[in-house]
Amino acid sequence: MSKLLDLLTENAGNLAGGLWVTCRLVAGAFAIALVVGTFVAALRIAPSKWLQRLGGIYVETLRNIPLLVLLFISFAGLRRAGVPIGPWTAGIASLGLYTAAYVAEVLRSGVFSVSKGQVEASLSLGFNYAQTLRRIVLPQAFRTVIAPLGSVTIAMIKNSAIVGVSLLALPDLLKEVRIIGARTFETSEAFFWAATGYLLLTGAATVAFRLLERRFAIRR
Amino acid sequence: MGYLFDPHNWEWLVTGNNARFLFEGFLVNVQIALIAMLFALVVGLALALARLARNRALSMAAGVWIDIWRNLPLMFVILYLGLALPQPWRDAYESAAPGFLPEALRTGRVFAALLALVLYNSAVLAEIMRAGILSLDRGQSEAAAALGMSYWQRMRLVILPQGLRRMLPATVSQLITLNKDTTLVSIIAIEEVMRHGRVVTGVNFFGGVPAPVLQVFLFIGLMFLATNLALSRLSRRLEIRERRRIGTTVKPISGAEDQLAVARVD
Repeated sequence: MSKLLDLLTENAGNLAGGLWVTCRLVAGAFAIALVVGTFVAALRIAPSKWLQRLGGIYVETLRNIPLLVLLFISFAGLRRAGVPIGPWTAGIASLGLYTAAYVAEVLRSGVFSVSKGQVEASLSLGFNYAQTLRRIVLPQAFRTVIAPLGSVTIAMIKNSAIVGVSLLALPDLLKEVRIIGARTFETSEAFFWAATGYLLLTGAATVAFRLLERRFAIRR
Repeated sequence: MGYLFDPHNWEWLVTGNNARFLFEGFLVNVQIALIAMLFALVVGLALALARLARNRALSMAAGVWIDIWRNLPLMFVILYLGLALPQPWRDAYESAAPGFLPEALRTGRVFAALLALVLYNSAVLAEIMRAGILSLDRGQSEAAAALGMSYWQRMRLVILPQGLRRMLPATVSQLITLNKDTTLVSIIAIEEVMRHGRVVTGVNFFGGVPAPVLQVFLFIGLMFLATNLALSRLSRRLEIRERRRIGTTVKPISGAEDQLAVARVD
C-alpha cells in the first residue's frame, strides 16, 4: 500500500502532466466532434438525396475504419507525403473526426425520435422549415440526445489512450504511466494510477451528462 | 492529390508479396476477433446472469466488475496485461495452443491480448444481454413460474431463447467494434496487419519499390471498411427482421456506443 502512495508522490508531476494532456486532447476532440458531427447530421437530414448520401458516406467510412489506422494515415502518412502536420493536430483531428461519425448518428436518431405529427402540426400552423427545425424539432431532439451523447463522450475519453500510445510526441496519461512503469519496474502500481485517472475522467463525464439530463428533463 | 493517386506510389501493391502479406496480417486480426468474441459471449452470459441474480451480493459484485472493465480504455487493459501477465500463464498458453492456428497466434503474448479483449468485451456484452433479457415482458417469467418451472428451466427454455435473440443485432455490431479493436494488439508486438503494414513500408522490402505509409495504411483501412460494412449490413438486416417479428426495439445500452448506429429509422 505504501508502495502505491510512494509511486504517486514521487511521480505526481508526470502523472498530473499526463492527465492534463489527456484532458486537452479530449476537450479538443470533443469540440471538433460536436461541430463536424452536427454538420454531418445536418447533411443526413437535408432535403436532398445527394447531401444525405454524402453524410452517409462520411459516417460509414469513419465508423468502420480503426482509429489506429486513421492515426497512422493522418500522422506518419501525411508527414511522409510532405504535409507538415504536428502530433497535436493529427491526434485531435483523428479522434475528433472519428467521434464525429458517432455524434452525427446520435443527433440524427434524436431528430428522428421527434414524432412526425409535431412537424406536420408546426408546418400547418404556418412555421417554415427552418422555424420548425429550430423551435419545434431541435429542442425536443436535444433532450433525447443527451444520454447517448454521454456514452459517445465516454468512449472518446477511452479512445484518447490510443492516440497517446501511437503518437510519440503526445505524453498522455497512459504513455506517462508506461514510462514510469518501465523506469521503476513497478508496472502494476503505475497502471493502478492510470486506471484511477481514467475512471475519474469517465466518472466525471457520466455525472456531468446525468446532471444535464436531469436539468433538461420534462417534469411530468 | 497528385501524390495520393500517383501510380508510382501504388506500385508496391502489385509487386512481390506485399498485398498477400497484408492480407495474411488482416486474417490474424479477424481470427483474434472471432476467438475473443466466442469467449466473450460465454463469459458475458455468465456475467449477465450474475448481474440479474436475486442474490443481492452477487448482483452487486457483477455490477461493479462490469462497470470497471467497461469504463477502462481497452488500450490500457491490453498494455497492462501485455506487460504484467505472469510468464507461467504465457507458457501454459504456448503449450496448449492448438497446432492448426497460424504461428502469429501461438505466442504467449496473444494470450494477454485475448484475455484483455475478452475482459473488456464480455463486460459490454453482459450489459447488452441484460438489456435484452430485461426488455422481455415480466409475464413471460411469471407464466413459466406458474407452470411449475424452476429458475434454470425458466431461463433455459423461456427467457434466454427470446432475450438473446433480441440482442443478436447488437452483438454483430459489437463484433465490428471488436474487429477494429484488434489493431490495438499490435502494441504488444503481435504480428497482425498493423505490424505487417509497417514492415511493408520499411525500405527496400520485396524488391525495392517504395511503399508510402499513406497508401499502405489506406489499403489496410479499406480492408477493414469492406469487412465491417458487410457485418453492419448483416446487423441491420437482423435488426429489421427482429423488429418485424416483435414490433418493438431493444433500448440502446450505454457503453455499447456502436450499437447506437444500428438503431436506424428506416
